[in-house]
Amino acid sequence: MSINRDFFTIDQVGYSFSGGDKILSGIDWHIPSGSFHCLVGRSGCGKTTLLKLAAGLLLPSEGQIHIEAAPVAGPSQKIGFVFQNPALLDWLSVMDNVLLPISLHRKVNETDRQSAHELLHLVGIADLADRFPAQLSGGQQSRTALARALITSPPALLMDEPFAALDAITREELQDDLLDLVASRDTTVLFVTHDIAEAVYLGDRVAMMDKGRISLNIEIDIQRPRSAACRYGKQFSDICQTIRSAMSRQVVK
Amino acid sequence: MIRHRLLSILLLLMLLFGWEWVVRATNLSALVVPPPSDVASALWNGLISGYLWPHIWITGATTLLGFLLGCFIGFASGVVLAECEPLRKIVWPYILAMQVVPKLALAPIFIIWFGFGMKPTVVITALICFFPLLENTMTGLQEVSAEKRQLFRMLGANRWQTLIRLKIPSGLPVIMAGVRVAIVLALVGAVVGEFITGRDGLGASIIAAQGMMDSTLIFALLIIITSIGLLFYQLTLIFERWLLRRWSKGKIV
Repeated sequence: MSINRDFFTIDQVGYSFSGGDKILSGIDWHIPSGSFHCLVGRSGCGKTTLLKLAAGLLLPSEGQIHIEAAPVAGPSQKIGFVFQNPALLDWLSVMDNVLLPISLHRKVNETDRQSAHELLHLVGIADLADRFPAQLSGGQQSRTALARALITSPPALLMDEPFAALDAITREELQDDLLDLVASRDTTVLFVTHDIAEAVYLGDRVAMMDKGRISLNIEIDIQRPRSAACRYGKQFSDICQTIRSAMSRQVVK
Repeated sequence: MIRHRLLSILLLLMLLFGWEWVVRATNLSALVVPPPSDVASALWNGLISGYLWPHIWITGATTLLGFLLGCFIGFASGVVLAECEPLRKIVWPYILAMQVVPKLALAPIFIIWFGFGMKPTVVITALICFFPLLENTMTGLQEVSAEKRQLFRMLGANRWQTLIRLKIPSGLPVIMAGVRVAIVLALVGAVVGEFITGRDGLGASIIAAQGMMDSTLIFALLIIITSIGLLFYQLTLIFERWLLRRWSKGKIV
């Protein structure tokens, strides 16, 4: 897959509720295959709506969204979705939760179990395969949800503030694990967050959304692989500052 | 724990002795309040002579048949109404009206339709069990979180899979709470139904004993009915624990 090919192509997309309230308007965004894009914004600015449009859970009122040049008409099997809440099924073990995307469509075989085990190993919870969700910590639940999204090896991941409910240390660990995972699989990621530092640390590009429009879309020129040290570098804090000040300006006016 | 058990047995013994003592000391007629010792011997004689057993079987069978029938129809209707919103809106006012009607007031018409004996009592019992199951099934199925529904959409699950793999399992604890309510109501329905419709069964025996002014036998029958109720409730509880064993993993009960 060529790196320059766009995975998501979002052209002049707008979205309104059936009542007529405009949530999004004039969104243009191209996300190349294998790249990691982040979207930041305040609560209620429409970022989750854009993510759902990209997933095919909602259909745009205006404009068009393409996934690998095919128009989106409904939920796409090429996408793994990670929700803000881990949304694990309480009555299934960690292993069965991870295998859910497969078991819904066909019988699970030994190869599937093997790959689920490898995935659990990669997200660092291989020894918890037989536990149930209620027995896990918040971070372990998020790891399970991540493994579930990756079990079908989707070419793209859409993530809706997946680490928002976690403490700072756990969040940083999960960010690093996520970067390793998607880099090794060349996964395209659109990651929604309200945390500017998280967006800058993870993304190749960071876009900012305000009142239903993309108001800033900048490239993050920090070398990969990124490590904890770069969180405290000057370049990092300068970029965060740029985004932060862009955000404040709009709110004051 | 054991101390509490002992104390509660002690409380029962004290009450029984107090009762016996008051009845003997005041020379109260056995027709008004029979002493516990007489009730115990009436109970013993009834069980030994085999007089009570057919009635116990009939009331037990009526309760169970009505319970199973009512639970099954209530559950199935709950699923249909939860899944089909237009239908729910159309029939809900009538279901509510049916729920308000005292089911026992329907006994005379059921006797005309089904004759005397077990049939009308089973129908009444089933009607009484129908509503808790209907309500709890509808509530349980509709309570599934939006994120889990979206997850199933993203995974390409069809409506049937979403029902079987998501909605029913996640509603099961609420549905089982309805079953627990239903089993208690079932026994009440069966016994009171027998007051009106039955020639056999424990309810009919109470009416017969009343006709013979045999208060002692009435008390003995009440003890049997209570024991059956406790037995059925405990069995339901064991079944529920077994069914929900995976749901309670890791939760502090």
